[in-house]
Amino acid sequence: MAFLELHDVVKVFGKNTVVRNLSLNVEKGEFVSFLGSSGCGKTTTLRMIAGFETLTEGSIILDGVNVERTAPNRRNLGMVFQSYALFPNMNVRHNIGFALKIAGLPREKMEKRVDEMLDLIKMGEYASRYPHQLSGGQQQRVALARALAREPAALLLDEPLSALDAKIRVRLRDDIRDIQRKLGITTVYVTHDQEEALSISDRVAVMKEGKIEQIGSPFEIYNKPATPYVAAFIGTLNRLPALVIDPSAGIVDVEGQRITTASPIQAAGGTALQLRLRPEALSLGPGDESSNRLKGNVENVKFLGSIVRLVVRVGAHRLSIDSFNEPRLVLPDLGEEIAVSFDREACVLAEPEAQPTRS
Amino acid sequence: MKNRKRKAMSWLVLAAGLLYFLLPLLATFLFSLRGKKGVLSFVAYEHVFADPQFLKTFVFSFKMSIFTVVAGLVLIIPTTIWIHLKVPKAKPLIEVFALMPFVIPPIILAFGLIRSYSRPPLALVTTPALLVAGYVIIAFPYIYRSIDAGLRAMDLKALTEAGMSLGAGWFSLLFQVVLPNLRTSILAAIFLTFATVIGELTLAVLLAWPAFGPYMALVGRDLAYEPAALAILSFALTWGSIGIIQALSRGKIRPSAMPAPGWATMAEDTKPAEKRSSTNGLS
Repeated sequence: MAFLELHDVVKVFGKNTVVRNLSLNVEKGEFVSFLGSSGCGKTTTLRMIAGFETLTEGSIILDGVNVERTAPNRRNLGMVFQSYALFPNMNVRHNIGFALKIAGLPREKMEKRVDEMLDLIKMGEYASRYPHQLSGGQQQRVALARALAREPAALLLDEPLSALDAKIRVRLRDDIRDIQRKLGITTVYVTHDQEEALSISDRVAVMKEGKIEQIGSPFEIYNKPATPYVAAFIGTLNRLPALVIDPSAGIVDVEGQRITTASPIQAAGGTALQLRLRPEALSLGPGDESSNRLKGNVENVKFLGSIVRLVVRVGAHRLSIDSFNEPRLVLPDLGEEIAVSFDREACVLAEPEAQPTRS
Repeated sequence: MKNRKRKAMSWLVLAAGLLYFLLPLLATFLFSLRGKKGVLSFVAYEHVFADPQFLKTFVFSFKMSIFTVVAGLVLIIPTTIWIHLKVPKAKPLIEVFALMPFVIPPIILAFGLIRSYSRPPLALVTTPALLVAGYVIIAFPYIYRSIDAGLRAMDLKALTEAGMSLGAGWFSLLFQVVLPNLRTSILAAIFLTFATVIGELTLAVLLAWPAFGPYMALVGRDLAYEPAALAILSFALTWGSIGIIQALSRGKIRPSAMPAPGWATMAEDTKPAEKRSSTNGLS
C-alpha cells in the first residue's frame, strides 16, 4: 500500500470537468511531479490533496486514512505556494514557528526546532527580518522551512519557483531536492516547466486535460514517451513518416532512404508509421558502419549557447539536430548537403498523429 | 531645472491645500476669542464649559461612537473576509449597499427606523440600541471600504490557505494572521466612524437623544461666539480621541507584540520591529 493514494479522483467545476478519473500512488519518501500546461488540472489535484478543494468523486488515502472528511488544517501537510504566502506581520522566526505555536509546542522545543529549520535553509542571520525585507528566493526558502517545521506527513509544492528568475530558480530547485532527500519526506510538486520536473523528480506524471498521460521516471518520460502528447510536450521531437519494409529486420523507408531500427517492428509490411528522433540523438557526418544515415540540406543554424541546433531539410520534412558547442565543431554552410547519422537504438516508431493512439 | 520646477509646484499645491483647510479653522478660532468686546479672551470657552450639557452630550456621543465602532467592526470585518474568500461574486452587490447610506438621506433612515420599531413586538425606538444600529448603517460604507481595501492589499486566499496547511483554525487565522495585517485599515475605519458619529445630527434629533450633534446645533442657533468655541473644542476632542485610540491599538496589535506569551522572550525580537515601523512610515 502506497503512502499517498489517489483513486479515480474527479473534479467538476460547474460544467467543466477539470480532473478525470485520476489515480496515482506515491510511495513514502518519493518525489512526484505533476507536469502539464496551464489548465491541465495539476494544481486542482494538488489542492484536493491539501484539502482546499473537495472531490467530486473518488478518494484520497493518506497514510492509510481516507482524508475526505479531514479539514485542511488537520491533514498535517506542508504546503508551499507560488506567491510564497509568508505572513507579513511576522518575522522569519515567527513565520517558521507558526505551525509549532499552533500545535502548542513548549517554547524551548519550538525555538530549537526553528533554529534547526533556519540552519536547514541556511538563513540563520535573517531570523529577525520581515518578509518584505527579503528577496523572492529567500522568501520561498522561509516558506519551505515553515512548511517543514512541524514535520508534516507530506510536502506539497504548487509552482514554487515560477515567480523567481532563472538563476535563483535552478539553485532553489537543487536546494529543495537536497532538503527533500535529507528529510526523506514524501513530496508532490506541481510545475509547468519540463526541465524543472525532469531534474527534480523521482517520477513525473505528465497531465493533459485532467488525466495522467504518462507517469514514470524522468528517463522513461523523456526517452520512452507513451503518447504523442508526451512526446511532443517533453523536449523537441523530430517526426518523419516511415513506411514499413521488412518488419522482422526492422527496416523502414523514410523519404526514400532506408533506416534500420534496433528491434523488429510490430506491424505488417506497408504500414505507414512515424519515426521519432530526439535532436540530441542525431549527429553530423556519416557515423560508423552500423549507423543509420539520412541525407538532407542545411536550412538553418541556431546558436543556443552551449548547444548549436541545425535544421536540415529531408525531403518535405525538417529535422532538428543538436550538437554540443565544442571548439572543434565545424558548422556546415546553409544549403550544403550533409549526412546525419544516428544509432539504431535512437529510433522510436509509433502510429502517426492523424490516428492518435488511446493508451 | 525641470525637476526643481515640479518640486516647487507640489509645494505650492500642498500649501494651497493646507490653507484651504486651516484658514477656516483659524478664522473660527479667532472669532471664538472675541466673546468680550475689544479684547481677545477665552470667555466663550468658559461659557461652554460652564454649561453641564456640553460634557453630558459629548460623553453620550462618545459612548455611542464606541458602541458603533465595536458593533460595526464585529459585524463587518468577518463578513467582508467571508465575502472575499467564499463569495467574491457578491462584491458588486455589497458595493451597491455601501453606496446606499450616501444616496438615501439620513432623514429617511430615521423615519424608517421610527416607523418599523415603534410598535410591539419591536418597540425599540426608545433604546439606544436603535441609535447605534442606525449609526452602524451610516458608518457601514466607511468600515467596509477600509476593510475591503486592506484585504485587497494582502493575498488573503494564499495567506489563509498557508495558515490552514500549518494547522491553524479559523480563530487563529483571524486573530494571528488576518487582523494583524488589517491594522491600518481597522484604524482608518475607526477614525472615520468616530468622526462621523460624534457630531451626527439627523438620527440623534429624530430619535430624540441628547447627543453632541443636536447640542451643537442648539448652541449655534441661540448664541454667537460659543458655537465657534464649541466647534474648535469638538475638533480638538475628536482628534484627541482618535489619537488615544491609535496609541492604545498600537500597543495592542503591533506586529512584534502580536505573537502571544510564548514568543515574548525570543531573541532579537523587538529591535527590527521598531526599525521597521520607523522606516516604512506607516505607523
